[in-house]
Amino acid sequence: MKSAGFDPHQWRVGVLFSSTGFMAVIEETQLRGTLLAIDEINAGGGINERELVPVIYDPASESAAFGRYAKRLMVEDRVSTIFGCYTSSSRKAVLPVVERLNGLLWYPTLYEGFEFSPNVIYTGAAPNQNSVALCRYLMDHYGPRFYFVGSDYIYPRESNRIMRDLLRANGGEMVGETYLSLRARQHDFLPVIRDIRRQQPDVIFSTVVGDSTIHLYQSYADAGFDPKVMPIASLTTTESEIRAMGFDVGEGHVTAASYFEGVSGPSNSSFVARYKKRYGADEPTNMCVEAAYFQVHIFAKALEQTNSTDTDLMRSMVLGSTFEAPQGRVSINATCSHTDLWTRIGRVNRCGQFDVVQQSLSPVLADPYLTGYGSPVGCQQA
Amino acid sequence: MTWRDTAPPFEFSNLDVVAACERDEVGDGLIRDLQRTRARVRHVWPMPAHLPDDADVVFSEFAPDLASRIPWVPGDPKAALVVILPREPSPDLELLFNCAPDAVLHRPFTGQAVVTSLMLARAHFNYERRLRSRIGKLDETLRTIRCVERAKAILISRRNMREDEAYQFMRRQAMSRRVPISTIANAIVDTEEMLG
Repeated sequence: MKSAGFDPHQWRVGVLFSSTGFMAVIEETQLRGTLLAIDEINAGGGINERELVPVIYDPASESAAFGRYAKRLMVEDRVSTIFGCYTSSSRKAVLPVVERLNGLLWYPTLYEGFEFSPNVIYTGAAPNQNSVALCRYLMDHYGPRFYFVGSDYIYPRESNRIMRDLLRANGGEMVGETYLSLRARQHDFLPVIRDIRRQQPDVIFSTVVGDSTIHLYQSYADAGFDPKVMPIASLTTTESEIRAMGFDVGEGHVTAASYFEGVSGPSNSSFVARYKKRYGADEPTNMCVEAAYFQVHIFAKALEQTNSTDTDLMRSMVLGSTFEAPQGRVSINATCSHTDLWTRIGRVNRCGQFDVVQQSLSPVLADPYLTGYGSPVGCQQA
Repeated sequence: MTWRDTAPPFEFSNLDVVAACERDEVGDGLIRDLQRTRARVRHVWPMPAHLPDDADVVFSEFAPDLASRIPWVPGDPKAALVVILPREPSPDLELLFNCAPDAVLHRPFTGQAVVTSLMLARAHFNYERRLRSRIGKLDETLRTIRCVERAKAILISRRNMREDEAYQFMRRQAMSRRVPISTIANAIVDTEEMLG
């Protein structure tokens, strides 16, 4: 795409994360991860001596606004690359725009899989990279009876369909399934808590996202349940939500993710240090920050080679590329444009950090359509 | 908004058409030629901030900010779009691309050009919509195929059905209840689990 009328000494890219509304608690951290990477790239002299300049809009947690801003970015701001989206609804709002105008969306969030757009690079986990291992771990350590609670939109319903399928295949059982509005307040969780008390499941599998995550965990704590025997297990609760709910409330609960702040290795320590230097010592990193961060670096490496943000050129350069991310070595899988990522299971400790209790021996190949699920995922006890 | 997928793209009677054009000689000709196809034609001018989206086809003069005046996002159009290009200067192709038109008319144009652009725009628009709907259904099928397979296996073992019979059984149930086949498959799998 041409950049007529704009500074030729710049590379302009779009950035779409909500800084306001009920998704800001997590999307704001993805914005920070994105900006940290952009700053690092510019501090190192830019890309082929051109500065990387973000054009940032705040869609305020409203899915349709993501579509409108994507159009504005591509049509008025003339960018072809967009970093953004947390919820699947927002991704699906951006999808027709980038597909019709041939842009490239970099999507740094775990999601329910079963999608493969040539105009998206997926850098968060697909279900085979988190759900499969989480289901087995929970059944082995807590028991086979799962209670599902989720926010009422695409991701939780699709993600639960997959988890239910995995559970059945492993001889487990779903004993309840409830969905609450994305705007649910704490009192909305009371009936759920009562139902959980009646059902006595071994595990509460949560796909609640955004602000209501905090209400769920708080209601659980208020009810006096014990995470040692009936933890809340999640694919979306990160260090940032734990911090917002309080470390005591989060302690003992379980999350599967490719990245936790506590992951060991020099690449992560220096990443965490740089993040805290910029945003404050109390600000935790999380899986969404990390994906938002490393995907900008992968983009920059590819752009250095193509010297053009043309989607067709970028895409072929990006597919198959690898990067030493804070979570470890990752690569963009050339067959499905998802990312081969690490699988980890973490349990919250009293400092609000996740102790890694299990992790894959190597990056797990992305399999967004779960074609090979059921085959063993190489795991070791940490 | 009414979809007329059954009507062939070269059948124009009862189509709702918006013409956002100047009432000069060419604009008047366009409206006349459109009316001759027996389409219902609505004229809007000056160019509104947002073009109407409650039409089957929108003819609109080109403007540098036309993309912003289109009331839908590219890739999810509500109507077929025909952009009318001026004789001079030659259009900025990037700006035109961003409007994602289904056809174009270059001023000046003949009555035949109006009819062919109308047919092409409708055909492209409908074809794209059918493809998008097919992709949507394929996506849904891929998500549910495992459950359908499992339900089939249950019917084969419990009801002694052949594989094709099992599938036809679920398809008939789905059609008579007007629900997706995955709903039937889910119900079968759930019942099996409950009965053990």
